[in-house]
Amino acid sequence: MSEENAPTRLDRRRFFKYAGGAAIGAGLLSRWAGPTLRPFAAGPVSAAGPGPDMFLGGTDGWIAMPIGSAAIGTNPILYPDDLAPPGFDTYIFGFRNVTELTDAQRIGQKNHAQHSAPLFWVNEYTGSNEFRVDITNLGLAQRPDLFDAHTLHWHGFRNVIPFFDGEPTGSVSVPAGSRFSYIYRPRDPGTYMYHCHVEDVEHVHMGMNGLVFVRPQQNGQTFTFDGRDFTKFAYNDGDGSTGYDREYAMHLSEIWEDSHWADSHIQLPEWSDYRPDFSLLNGRAYPDTIAPNAPLTGDTTKPYMPVVVDLDGDLTTNAGYEHLKYQPLSSLIRCKEGESVLLRFSNLGFKEPAMTMAGITMRVVGRDATPMRGIGALGARDLSGADTSYETNTISVGAGESFDVIFKAPAYVGPDAYDTYMLYNRDYTRDGNTSDYGGQTTEVHVYPGPTPANILADQTIPNT
Amino acid sequence: MNQTTHRQGVRRAGMLVALATVGVVTTSSYRPAVISAATTTTTNRVGVMCTKDSNAAATHTSTFDLTTTVGYISLPDGNTTWTWGYSEIGKPFQHPGPVLCVNEGDAVTVHLTNTHNTVKVPTSIMFPGQEDVKANGAPVQPVLALDGSVTSMVDTAADDGSVTYTFTASKPGTYLYESGTDPETQVRMGLFGALIVYPAAGSTQAYNSATSAFTLGEEFLVLLSEVDPYQHDAAESCWNAPMLSPCTATTAGLASRFDINDYHPRYWLINGRGFPDSVADNKASWLPSQPYGALARVHPFNTNPAAGLNYHPLPALTRYLNVGTEDYPFHPHGNNGSIIGRDGAELRSTDDKDLSFEKFSINLGPGQTWDVLSKWYDAEGYSPTNPVNVQIPSVANQVFGMFYSGSPYLGSQGTLPPGTQTLNQCGEFYIIAHNHALYQITSWGVNMTGPITYMRVDPPFPNNCPL
Repeated sequence: MSEENAPTRLDRRRFFKYAGGAAIGAGLLSRWAGPTLRPFAAGPVSAAGPGPDMFLGGTDGWIAMPIGSAAIGTNPILYPDDLAPPGFDTYIFGFRNVTELTDAQRIGQKNHAQHSAPLFWVNEYTGSNEFRVDITNLGLAQRPDLFDAHTLHWHGFRNVIPFFDGEPTGSVSVPAGSRFSYIYRPRDPGTYMYHCHVEDVEHVHMGMNGLVFVRPQQNGQTFTFDGRDFTKFAYNDGDGSTGYDREYAMHLSEIWEDSHWADSHIQLPEWSDYRPDFSLLNGRAYPDTIAPNAPLTGDTTKPYMPVVVDLDGDLTTNAGYEHLKYQPLSSLIRCKEGESVLLRFSNLGFKEPAMTMAGITMRVVGRDATPMRGIGALGARDLSGADTSYETNTISVGAGESFDVIFKAPAYVGPDAYDTYMLYNRDYTRDGNTSDYGGQTTEVHVYPGPTPANILADQTIPNT
Repeated sequence: MNQTTHRQGVRRAGMLVALATVGVVTTSSYRPAVISAATTTTTNRVGVMCTKDSNAAATHTSTFDLTTTVGYISLPDGNTTWTWGYSEIGKPFQHPGPVLCVNEGDAVTVHLTNTHNTVKVPTSIMFPGQEDVKANGAPVQPVLALDGSVTSMVDTAADDGSVTYTFTASKPGTYLYESGTDPETQVRMGLFGALIVYPAAGSTQAYNSATSAFTLGEEFLVLLSEVDPYQHDAAESCWNAPMLSPCTATTAGLASRFDINDYHPRYWLINGRGFPDSVADNKASWLPSQPYGALARVHPFNTNPAAGLNYHPLPALTRYLNVGTEDYPFHPHGNNGSIIGRDGAELRSTDDKDLSFEKFSINLGPGQTWDVLSKWYDAEGYSPTNPVNVQIPSVANQVFGMFYSGSPYLGSQGTLPPGTQTLNQCGEFYIIAHNHALYQITSWGVNMTGPITYMRVDPPFPNNCPL
């Protein structure tokens, strides 16, 4: 039996940890709401100035793995977490999109983090469109003893100064109650990811990670490729070869219940024991991955998923999916036959998922926000070099790596309303579709060409 | 000089002896009469510290005398662990082994002496990526046990014996060298090092293509490894056991003390050190057996010939090697490297097209080497006169990192709150590079250690930075 699949052993160290954690759980701390945040001391934004394009709040919260999960191999002491509010089972740190919230609503999002972090996107910088992301640190309701700062690290951004890189040792980080602005001029289209870089072993794993991508300035022009006209592209390819009709963010991450339980119980995990119990797509484990997105406003002018919030600024859910309140992003891929679909993969888990598409060939057109082109005679930005894109049905996505792949939806066969193809982690201990505890699996639904718009309209927002 | 000349003569004699042993196979008890190599090791504080044959340029031969040694290394959690190493003969234990630097076309001779009472078992050196490697003059061959199982992938030197490996360094690039004997024990115990083959075009290019040129002095090593302290502890117990203990007789004895199925690394290292030791200078006095630092120190990329001292038109080169057991996804921040070669093969097509590519995740597999060019410049040219377009919060609303200057701008230093300590010297930038399988940047419970290093970007001249 390999170490990977060995049952969790209750050694002496763990025994004392559980005993100590249980004592804390039974005590007062779990009920203590913690101090109220003070108002921003010297807010960088004056009422006259423009606000941020994206405003993230960093805090803690609770999410749920699939309903009825038996969590095979998971230690029952650790999962479900005995401190979890009803309907939830796993403690997280995470971000929330607080861009459109009032001050009161924003502060109220403490202990309402989501997983994965809010998906957002930016247009390539063309001279005037700076993109500003603010973050505020809302504090940790479950851990008032911690005074962790947060930052935003845009993973893969080229040639950024340390001040805007979010790595706390070489620059600054944001303590609870404070706010900080990051300015980006993204010059390189592609798929990136972002995460908090403070105590990053813990903060990244606990859920402060998500996907961000940069749209190329070529968008809006029309290129004909393979007999189809495209106006949306993954890169400035000059020939339409990265054109697509629909796009889906596929952010990979993991949950090792040992560390999540430890954080809620004022304990420390031994990270070299790392063995994730759940492997996630966009913050959810199958079959939740194919559940719908949280309710969306339909506003296509925002550079992020336009989720509906309630009067308190909190996330809302679809009926029947209340357990996914803080996991708003769906991984269900829907398209019509013959369409080109762009999948943007990024991985901020610590393992290397082998994402496999059954029955449809994928073409890798980009990797690490770099188009698959050799270097032309004019240097790195000259894309006239050799075409190094390739076809495959499996991509192994390393920790901190991204892939842009395009597939062409095959002909609809029927007789159901749509044909279903599977996209899953070929490491069968992490796909979850043959066990009870879910994993990195989702579905591709291919509809017939004449499908009416009220069933499948042209895509205006990613992952819809 | 006399000594050098003398040694050179002896080395030639040694080669003649080696030639005379053609046809002698497998475990050899041949011992050298004398030290045959004359080497020098560069003394730079940061960057690749080369050990090379002093006469290689003139003779197109590179000869090294390596021996087995044992000793202790320091780990970031305050533990030490007993480790094996290759050292130059007559020099103390070091980890990892010396960085052997040779030139394309050199006739390379590595003479391995298995010094008595060090590892106490037969051992060897493999040179993955080199072709036509000979041991004592004959092509290297696996060593078989009586039952036909392989005990070593190449010819060995017995305890108190020696073996001479020869090959021609025909392909420029970055390579590992490591034990081929009972490697799941011996490589894990520390018997490995880096071999660099410089191209005929010169030692400021990675390959013979002009596009592989890099800045002199900006050549860095990232050699990634891992340690299971129980494995090292078992080996040490075995080593200290009475002479009749099985572990003094055969490699199988060692294995009996440690079940490799229980293998579970608890430490991950960069150039044999964990952070923060990783950013200490080469040969830092408090790390006597871990001579190789991993700090990269660079100057901003600048292609303007009128910039005088700040004209800096070439990138830096980082040579990545993985001697561990799984893929390591290494992530240098802010600095998408251009992957120009892997495993000693330049990324060019058969019709000589440039197939190099940029990447922010350097995810190298076990045994792989990657050569990566990178350059750093502030894409926005921020400065006190071109300030960041944000209001910087008051100092009470920031947490300051220990490498931060107090200013967002390269070359500036700002006011830090009273009591804040900074290691920043002259407004330089520190940009992190680390393994992104983040549980591996811990040391058996101590977070934010392990394979982490920084790229230090010095401000343009004139600056106040100490040399």
